[in-house]
Order: sequence, then structure tokens, then C-alpha cells
Amino acid sequence: MTAAPILVFENVVKRYGALTALAGVSLTLHRGEVVCLIGPSGSGKSTLLRCANALDPLDQGRISFDGHEVRSSETSVRLVRQRMGMVFQNFELFPHLTVLRNVTIGPTTVLKLGQAEADARARKLLAKVGLADKETSHPSALSGGQQQRVAIARALAMEPALMLFDEPTSALDPETIGEVLSVMKTLADEGMTMLVVTHEMDFARRVANRVAVFDKGRVIEEGTPQEIFTAPKVPRTRDFLSHLGWHGESK
Amino acid sequence: MDINLTPILTSWPFLLKALGMTIFVSVMSTALGFVIGTLVGALRTYGGRMTNVVLGFYVDSMRAIPLLVILVWTFFAFPLLIGASINAVTAGIAGLGLHLGAYVSETIRAGLTSVRRNQMQAGLALGMSRFQAIRTIILPQAIIRMLPALGSLFVIAIKDSAIASVIAVPELLRQTQIVAGKTFRPFELYTAAMLAYFILCYPVARGVDRLYRRLSHLGSS
Amino acid sequence: MTFDWNIVWSSLPRLLDGAWMTIWLSVVTMLLAIPGGLALALLRLSGIKPLAMAATAFVEFFRATPLILQIYWVYYVLPAYFDIQLSQIATAIVGLACNISAFNSETFRSGIVSIRQGQWNAGLALGMSRFSVFCRIVAPQALMRVLPALASTWVSLFKDTSLVSIIAVSELSYVALQIRAETYRILEVLTAMAALYWLMGYPQAKLVDWIHHRFKVAE
Repeated sequence: MTAAPILVFENVVKRYGALTALAGVSLTLHRGEVVCLIGPSGSGKSTLLRCANALDPLDQGRISFDGHEVRSSETSVRLVRQRMGMVFQNFELFPHLTVLRNVTIGPTTVLKLGQAEADARARKLLAKVGLADKETSHPSALSGGQQQRVAIARALAMEPALMLFDEPTSALDPETIGEVLSVMKTLADEGMTMLVVTHEMDFARRVANRVAVFDKGRVIEEGTPQEIFTAPKVPRTRDFLSHLGWHGESK
Repeated sequence: MDINLTPILTSWPFLLKALGMTIFVSVMSTALGFVIGTLVGALRTYGGRMTNVVLGFYVDSMRAIPLLVILVWTFFAFPLLIGASINAVTAGIAGLGLHLGAYVSETIRAGLTSVRRNQMQAGLALGMSRFQAIRTIILPQAIIRMLPALGSLFVIAIKDSAIASVIAVPELLRQTQIVAGKTFRPFELYTAAMLAYFILCYPVARGVDRLYRRLSHLGSS
Repeated sequence: MTFDWNIVWSSLPRLLDGAWMTIWLSVVTMLLAIPGGLALALLRLSGIKPLAMAATAFVEFFRATPLILQIYWVYYVLPAYFDIQLSQIATAIVGLACNISAFNSETFRSGIVSIRQGQWNAGLALGMSRFSVFCRIVAPQALMRVLPALASTWVSLFKDTSLVSIIAVSELSYVALQIRAETYRILEVLTAMAALYWLMGYPQAKLVDWIHHRFKVAE
């Protein structure tokens, strides 16, 4: 990969009381790359995303985004967050706002975009995620898959340089997972830089440029999907994949 | 027992004006109470420890001291302290609003803390400041969730405005007393006033409940 | 402007008598309003249409009109039109008890209604009578939910007793207003009155918070 690094984690340590969530993680994400983080629940994948967006402060190490260190000084953090889109496991749409307003609230309050301009941008994005007809609905009237697609449009409305996905399909009914993954696949194809925490191994295998395997707060293995899914080197990776019923591809 | 409606029929313009004053005082004191309560509730939830202690002292004091005492003190004692007189309506609205504000703040605080933490984080993740996230995301949801409670506080404000009669605010109860005293027909007048308050309060309570049923889905993240 | 705080110390015995009357009125009212509220709640849940409707009307009426007006009404109307002669204290207690009963009935009703039908069914399935299901199964569970609301009502009542000063019942605020009129030490006496209410009410407000915290409903 020759593209410039955009997000760099260096020896990141994060503790919650006595629990060590991240025990020294180093990882580099390059422009235009899709990296999937996989591993057992509680292995620190989501924590890493929250640290990247400075929603949780670090205990040790450093994270830099586009050459600038992500610190917890209010203004610098807000500038970083404006350029990093984040999609949450439980969507976290704003229930009191219509779908359209959910997508425009970032641009209007943070970027100070005019309402008309923000509306136009939002409509384009809603069409892109296939929800152009839902702009006047409230989130409570949407299915989980639809809510998550709105959440993706909301993050994209900030025109981010990077998208963070925190288990975007874990809270969904099986029948709506596909529509969310296909939106994410389209984004990846368009060249969006993405860091995705997921349990969808098929998505990781088909879409990711690289896969990092987490266990107990560390990256235990990192490589192309080919390397991880067909020939994992670390026994823990093999265990994890076989627990998910993944036994490599039948050729 | 004989009933004589003449006093009501002859003095109804006077009483209607008093009813207008009751509505005016209720609305103004509710507005004041809601502004104070929202500020205090938000500051206690998101401010520092000292802010919480100081404002908590205000809230608990208002919960401890009767409204009548607050009104009497504001109207009779406070002017001596500052060396200037305050008119009764101003003192009434100020006292009622300060008292109500404490209760509003407790309600707002409960609403704010009931909104999931991740809603704040979703706002922050868009690059919002904490203040922006509270104002545009958390507070609106808290208010929708707390509509029934805030509605009953408005009803309480209407009822409590009658206590301002003790500092001679010319509202419905005060003016009813005056007419009752002149005409010696307390039964008819106090009953009429009672009905007027009921007609004022009851629909407000029911209306807020209905509004809440229509809006409740907007507050459940 | 000079202030003479000695007046507070010399009037303290009278103020304390008033405070004692405030406490006494609150206790007596609550002792009447708990059975009163329970009776109203049970009438509303009885399923006997006319009784339930009468109870509902009583409750809604007392909840939607100002207490201070209710006190005037009882004071002027009962003796003049129904030929019932009550002392001022008795008038005060009747007014307060009717009002607080109405509020308590809502507390009791929602406490009883909050107990799932399944609990009734489980008791009835054991062959218990409806009465004993209520007493042994529903009421004890409802009590836990009712206690915080009752505690809040208690503090409201404690504050509301100040309203009976308008019919010259010599509780704390009436006594203080009297002393003010006698001495013209307005700021001193009114501040002392507020301080005494604060001293009594503040710990109660804190206690209510504790009760709410302690009995928070865990579903």
C-alpha cells in the first residue's frame, strides 16, 4: 500500500478501572483503505474506535489523524470529529427529529451550512442509501436497517475523510443486515477510507483490504483477508474463526 | 338555603378581568419557572461539583419553604432590604417563578439523565460541542419525556397563583374575596371561582396528556 | 435602615408554638388523609359505577382547584349554608384532609394498578379470596411503590398548612404575620419565619430524596 497514512494508532493503552481494554495497540490506516477489526466480544475493537474519535480518553500511547495528534483539548477534538464519521451499533438517531433533520443537524449546527444547502446535501445522501422517500418520517417509524442507513447518511453529511463503523449490523434483524452491508460496500468501492468493527466475516473477506484480529486488548494478527481467512498463522485466530463456523472457503 | 346569582351577574366584568390576571400571572410565572428550571437542571446535570452544591441548595430550600412564605417575604421584606418598593404583580410572578423553578429543575434533571449516554456521544461524534449536543439533542428529548410532569407543574402554577391573593395581586381569588365581602354572598362567589379554576386547570391537564400520547415516540431513543 | 434582630429572640417562644401547631396540623391531616385516600382509591376501583364516578369527581375536583380557595369555601360555606359550626382548626383540618385525600387516592390507585394482573391471578389460583389477595399480595407490593409519592405529598402538606393562616389558625405563618403587625419589624420577623420553615422543611426534603432513592422501582 503506497497511499499516505491517515489514522495511526501507536501503542494505545486504555483501562476502565482494573480492566485493561486496550493493552498496547498499534495500527495504521491508509487513505482509501478498508480495514476490518474482528475478534471475540470484549476484545477491545469498539474501544479502539471510541478512542479514535476521542469519545474515550487514552491512558497511554498516541493516535494521530491526518498528521495531527488526537488529543482531548475540546477544539482540536471537535475538528477531528468533524472529519471522522461514526456509525454506532444502536444507530443513535435523534428520535425527536425527522430523517431529513437527522442528516442536516451536523452540517447546520457544526459546519454552519445554510438550511437549503444542507437539505440538498442530505437529500442526495438519502437517495444514495435508498431512503429518499423517508425524509419526513421519524426514526421510530423505520426498521433497524433503515435507521442504520440514515445514520450512515448522517455521518456522510459531514463529508468525512474517514468513516468509523462500530458493529453496524449487530443490532439488526437478519433480514435487514444485507441492505446496510451493501451501502457500506458501495462506499468502499467509491474509495471511502473505512475502519469497521464487525462480526460479518463474509463482509470482511470480500470488502476489506486488511483485517486485524483482536484478542484481549491486542492485535494478535494482521493481514489481507486472504491471509487471515485461508491461512491464519496464530492459533487463537483459528479458534476464533472456527467458533464462528468459518472453516475457510471450500475450493 | 337560597341561592342568589345577582352578585355574579352584576360584577362579572370585574371578575373576568381578575381571571385574566390569574392567567397572566400563571403564564408569566410558568415561563420564568421554566427558564430558571431548565438552566438550573442543565447546570446541575452537566456543571461542576460546586455548581451542583450551590444550585442544589437553592432547589432544596424552595422545596422546604412554603410558597406563601416566599411570596410574603418577597413582597414585604425584600423591598426593605434593597430600599425600593416592588409592585405586587411583579413580586407575585417573581416568587411563584422562583418556587416553581426548583420543581421544574428537578423534572428537567430527571429527563436529561434518562436520555441514553450514547445520544450525547452521537452528537459529539458529529463534531458538536457539549453545549450544542445538549441544546439540540438531549434537552428536546428530555422535555418530550417529561411533558406530563411539566404539564402538571403548569397546572400547579395556575392553582398556586391564587396564593398571590395574600399579597393583594388582583387575581381571581383576591377579587372574588372583595366582591364576596361587599355582597355577603360568599357561597355563590367562591363556588363560581372554584368552577372557573376547574375549567381552567382540568383541560390543561387533559390536553397535556393527549399531547404527550402523540409525541412520546419522539422522546424514546 | 436598621434592623433589630432582638425581636426574633423575644418572639421565639410564640414562633415555636406556631411551628408546633404546623407540625400537629400536618400529622393530623395525614392521619385522616391516608384512610381517606385509600377509601377513595378503592371506591374508584370497586367497579360500582355510581360510587366510582362520585369518587372520581371528588378527586378530580380537589386536584384541579386551588387549596387556598377550598379552605375559604369550607370556612364560609359550611357554617352559612349548611349550618355546620366548626372551629377554625377543625375547618382547616377538613379542608386540608379533603385535599390531601384526593392526592393520596391517586397515589394509592396507581400503586395498586401497577401490580400486574398476574399477581392477582396467582393469588386467586391458590384459592385465596379477592380480599386476602389484596391484603396479603397486592397491598404489600403496592406499599413499596406508594411510599415515595406519599413522602412527597407529606412535604407538600407541611408547606400547605401555611395556607390556613388565612382563616386565623395560629400556625407558624399566622403567628409570624401577627408579630409583624404588632411590632412592625417586618424584615426580621418574616425572615425568622422563613428560616424556621427552612430548618424544618430542608431535612424533610432530603429525607424524601432518600426515600425515593431507596424505594426506586426496579422492574
